[in-house]
Amino acid sequence: MSFVVLIAAGLIVPIFYRNNIFIAKMIAVIAFILAAYFIYQGNSLNAIFPYFVLDKATQLMEFALLATLGAVSLALTGFERPLIAQMLFLAGVSLGLLETNNFFIYVVLFEVIAIISYILVANIRNFNNAEGAIKAFIAGAVASGIILLGFALFSFTTDSFNYAQMNVSGKFTLIAVAIMLAGIFYKLTIVPMHGWAADAYSQVNHAAAAILSGVIKSVILVATFKAFYKFMIAYPLATILIFSFFAVITMTLANFMALFQKRVSKILAYSSIAHSGYALIPFAAAASIYSYAGVLYYAIAYIFMQTSVFLILNDLRREAGIKYLKDLKGLGKRAPLHSFFFTIQIFSLAGIPLLAGFLAKAVAFYAGVDAGLWVIVLIAALNSALAVAYYAWIIKHIYFDEAKHNAVIKMSPGSLIGQLILLAGTIYFGIVAADVINATVSF
Amino acid sequence: MVAVDIIFAPIFLSALVYFLTRGAEHLTKYVALAWFIVLFIISLNWLNQIMHPESYAFPPEIINYIKATGFLPLGEYLRVPAFGFSLTLQIDALSVAMLILTAALLILVVFTSWEEKNQAAYFSLLILFSGPIFGVFMTTNVLWFFMFWELTLVPMLFLVGYWGAEGVEVKKVFNIEIKLPSRVYAALKFFLYTHVFAMFMFVGFFLLFKQTGYWDFTLIKEAAIVTPALIWWLMFLGFAAKLPLFPFHTWLPDAHVQAPSSISVLLAGVLLKMGAYGLIRFIIELMPVTTARFAMWMVVLGLITTLYAGFLAIYERHIKKMVAYSSISHMGLVVVAAATLSYDGLSAALYEMIGHALVISPLFLLAGWLHHKTHTWYMDEMGGIMKYAPYASAIFILAGMAALGLPGTMGFIGELTIIISAVKSFGWWIAIIAFAGMISAGYIIWSIRRVFHGEPSEVVKRSEFHMSFPEKFALAVYAFLIVYFGVNPQPIFDIANKAFSFFGGM
Repeated sequence: MSFVVLIAAGLIVPIFYRNNIFIAKMIAVIAFILAAYFIYQGNSLNAIFPYFVLDKATQLMEFALLATLGAVSLALTGFERPLIAQMLFLAGVSLGLLETNNFFIYVVLFEVIAIISYILVANIRNFNNAEGAIKAFIAGAVASGIILLGFALFSFTTDSFNYAQMNVSGKFTLIAVAIMLAGIFYKLTIVPMHGWAADAYSQVNHAAAAILSGVIKSVILVATFKAFYKFMIAYPLATILIFSFFAVITMTLANFMALFQKRVSKILAYSSIAHSGYALIPFAAAASIYSYAGVLYYAIAYIFMQTSVFLILNDLRREAGIKYLKDLKGLGKRAPLHSFFFTIQIFSLAGIPLLAGFLAKAVAFYAGVDAGLWVIVLIAALNSALAVAYYAWIIKHIYFDEAKHNAVIKMSPGSLIGQLILLAGTIYFGIVAADVINATVSF
Repeated sequence: MVAVDIIFAPIFLSALVYFLTRGAEHLTKYVALAWFIVLFIISLNWLNQIMHPESYAFPPEIINYIKATGFLPLGEYLRVPAFGFSLTLQIDALSVAMLILTAALLILVVFTSWEEKNQAAYFSLLILFSGPIFGVFMTTNVLWFFMFWELTLVPMLFLVGYWGAEGVEVKKVFNIEIKLPSRVYAALKFFLYTHVFAMFMFVGFFLLFKQTGYWDFTLIKEAAIVTPALIWWLMFLGFAAKLPLFPFHTWLPDAHVQAPSSISVLLAGVLLKMGAYGLIRFIIELMPVTTARFAMWMVVLGLITTLYAGFLAIYERHIKKMVAYSSISHMGLVVVAAATLSYDGLSAALYEMIGHALVISPLFLLAGWLHHKTHTWYMDEMGGIMKYAPYASAIFILAGMAALGLPGTMGFIGELTIIISAVKSFGWWIAIIAFAGMISAGYIIWSIRRVFHGEPSEVVKRSEFHMSFPEKFALAVYAFLIVYFGVNPQPIFDIANKAFSFFGGM
């Protein structure tokens, strides 16, 4: 039902948003709430199709997803209106991707999400936007091709695509999985497949970037873990080698790149890439019983904080043309509300306790330690501590520097409500760890 | 319920106070003062409950628990059964001593920053700070301990970075020249330094959980495993950077000098104590066997810290830097005392921790005050201040004498007990630690000579020395406590007796 509601709303919304964006927003929000209600009732795709299963953990992720998308749709204004319909479609497809237990459907929906993301970034207003959009498109197309190649190889060796019944001991399985992962790493922006992301995230409309880097990445993270779990258990050594190698180079390189950026959006883009690196640690530690909890927690925390920072940046860029780090100077006085939300979410990204970012890292890293990868975890922990350098640098600009202009930047009510929803998520999952961990016990 | 409230209430209280006092900023400090007094009374009450559990109407099993473990249980919150994880609040005599010290310093800090600029934000941040710092000393869950430990950094980052001293620092990072206010540099350095080293501790705690299967300190202790050296070193690094021990001390002079004086008091009086507390609780109590293996490392590092920082203090012209180095030097003594792994040594360490907080605070305050009045940091540009500001000079001299260990003050008993316990445990060669006293006599007496005595310099003649009543009051309290516990140290040793009974107290 939830899927039907979302897609139907997505089809209805374009009729309204040309005249009145408020009604369109309301339809979207009601659709998200209704979808959440149906999911709560256990009445999602699983009620209609056989290839979908709705368990506790998936439910939790879907709530986080819908809350985030609701917050984003509230924060949108004027020219961003096409995003509303795209978000509704995206939500519907994401539910499918999260719930499915069939590898074939996973690959198909993965491609559908890719297509939606091309439309998302194609909100072209100037040359820079176009560059980012084209990069995202080409990289995505290459990734799709690679995934299909791996999938084709894999489908030779298995009789069933059900996650539980897949044959993972075939001759070509390992190479097929490696090829598929190469494609998926494009979408997860793992170094060295990250090149497109830094440009795309920082150059497209920031609301689209929020969805692209926050929402889509989190969904793909969880769905991929579920899809590849059986492979990861079957090939423990390859899993550890592949994922810890990519985790380490991703976070290290991205953190160093972020240090040298002058555009705020680029810093956030590289920070997003670095976060993909941390999120790979529970993948490497698939053997640990906490690995799924680590991935899920990371995805939930990440969806709130990353979306929030890009949305605030979207507001700031639209209202005051803030692009570079130096434009942020004295923002604490000019825009106290924006600065407040921005600071808390940045602290969450940096992994300061009582915010979701910390507990997510703690659970994900513990999964690593549990699997015996403490060296990797130590590298990751030091990386996340060094990352504080550029996060604190942003905060230094906001609070400790004198402003060049004194024009006050106001926050719209929709944006405020959206930010409050995201902040509530960040703080709730920063204090209460029980939900996520209990949800993943059965996995 | 009180216990968990006083950790989390400050978060809401600070936001509430900040927004409600937008129009009347001067009211914030009264709220802060009232809140800190409440904290102080609650902590005193807890102390009484731990020292005399019989006189309270506890159920018998709780009285037995207190007698058996020394811990007063304050409840378990936010349980995650699948992970064996919860916010366990338990306090023993050691943590209560730290809580009382923290609350007392916070009260005095309100007095000494009575006329601070931008009060609403300043005191809201102080209130915010009181939550996690109480959490650090109250929880026995190692991960929550780490979380509170990290959280204390955030208000401190803003307090140092925004209210700190003037001045500009030019730094070269990868050939890019960065020019920024030195207070911001100091705040960021402090934040990054402690954060990076805390990460070692973080991984250490994870490995500890993997080894034992418990997050809770008391349960890990009962499991009584011989901890691998790796865990010991990871955790030791985290605490050593906070203390700070010799190779990791470079953040301290920057942060303590650039911070406003009242915040230097909190940095030296409370945040350094977090390091010492962690060292005693999570290194010595938790893994005594492994610590015994590495005790000599601790002694050598502590000794180097003490002597090296002492020599740096002699060399220093900058009055607040001198005090900062003297602070490092005293913390080195605490590590040496703790490394004896004996009841005497730990009691001496606890006494010195409290003594250090009470002695170094007025020194920091007066150093900051002198800079505020004379607009110079350098001691050789001052002189003859005694004539103009006799009250401040007298307190500085008293606290200075306590720092160098004059009998009748807290410094003497601290150093004496530390030397005795160290000689008892390590033999005569450790008596070289007594040099620390001589070195501190050198820099303290020389600085008193340069700043307070002699002919008034031009700078001093031009300045006006006025001290507000709240500041005078706070300094008088410090002076009283220094002498009171110097003459009558028994209350602190009573607490130590309760705290370190596991080493066979008296």
